[in-house]
Amino acid sequence: MSADPDAVDAAFFDELRKHYSDDEIVELGTFIGFNLGYHTFFGTLKFYPLFSPDGRLVSQAESEKIYGAAPVSLGKSEAAE
Amino acid sequence: MTHIAPLPKEAIADPELRALIAEAEALGVPDDLFPRILARAPEQAVPLMRALIMSHAQGSVDHRLKEIMRILLARFANDKYFASLRSNKARAMGLTEARIDDGCFAYEDDAKGFSAAEKCALRYADLMFLDANQIDKAFYDEMKRHWSEAQIMELGAFIAFHYGMQMFMRSLGATAAG
Repeated sequence: MSADPDAVDAAFFDELRKHYSDDEIVELGTFIGFNLGYHTFFGTLKFYPLFSPDGRLVSQAESEKIYGAAPVSLGKSEAAE
Repeated sequence: MTHIAPLPKEAIADPELRALIAEAEALGVPDDLFPRILARAPEQAVPLMRALIMSHAQGSVDHRLKEIMRILLARFANDKYFASLRSNKARAMGLTEARIDDGCFAYEDDAKGFSAAEKCALRYADLMFLDANQIDKAFYDEMKRHWSEAQIMELGAFIAFHYGMQMFMRSLGATAAG
């Protein structure tokens, strides 16, 4: 839906229906749409993780020092590449 | 015909959802197609519909500006369904199709008469899914010259939510209403 929305076509929905009901597909679709929008918005706000890698609650300034200018959560995972 | 069939209106029993559908139909955005599809996930249909209407028609930012931003986003999302809908409230406030087109395609042109605040908000919607990296600290500093932080959150959440639902309706193959 995000990377290649044209690929979400009738054949794709046929495949989805092999595994999910129409009601579940609506639940998934709205969930994806909601997250697609909000994660992009939140990304522009430059949130940093609230906790350090060892589990301490840290300020945004300290978190930026720990995680760098581009938090890992905003980057692509190795699995996605 | 959408890839997922909407429920018949008479199959929706939840009075809260029925009231939201009536509210949306009076506003003009959305018509009954979107909520009849949402109704397949009834626990989510009410909060999603409430958020859609509230973020669009309420708040402290001019509804006409948000209507232009909504259509700009729907056109960018290539969502023919939401792009074809129009707010009756914005129309009653004087918003015209020519103004919508100017806001979508030529808002930076000084001759079109958009204020610096309106240009900034339209740029916010334009860039969010085109190149979010341009929405940086300098961009937010510029936004803060024209809008309160509460209004910036109102606009950001509005952009995020409507674009997400527009991409969902595009994925379903929804066509222009009417």
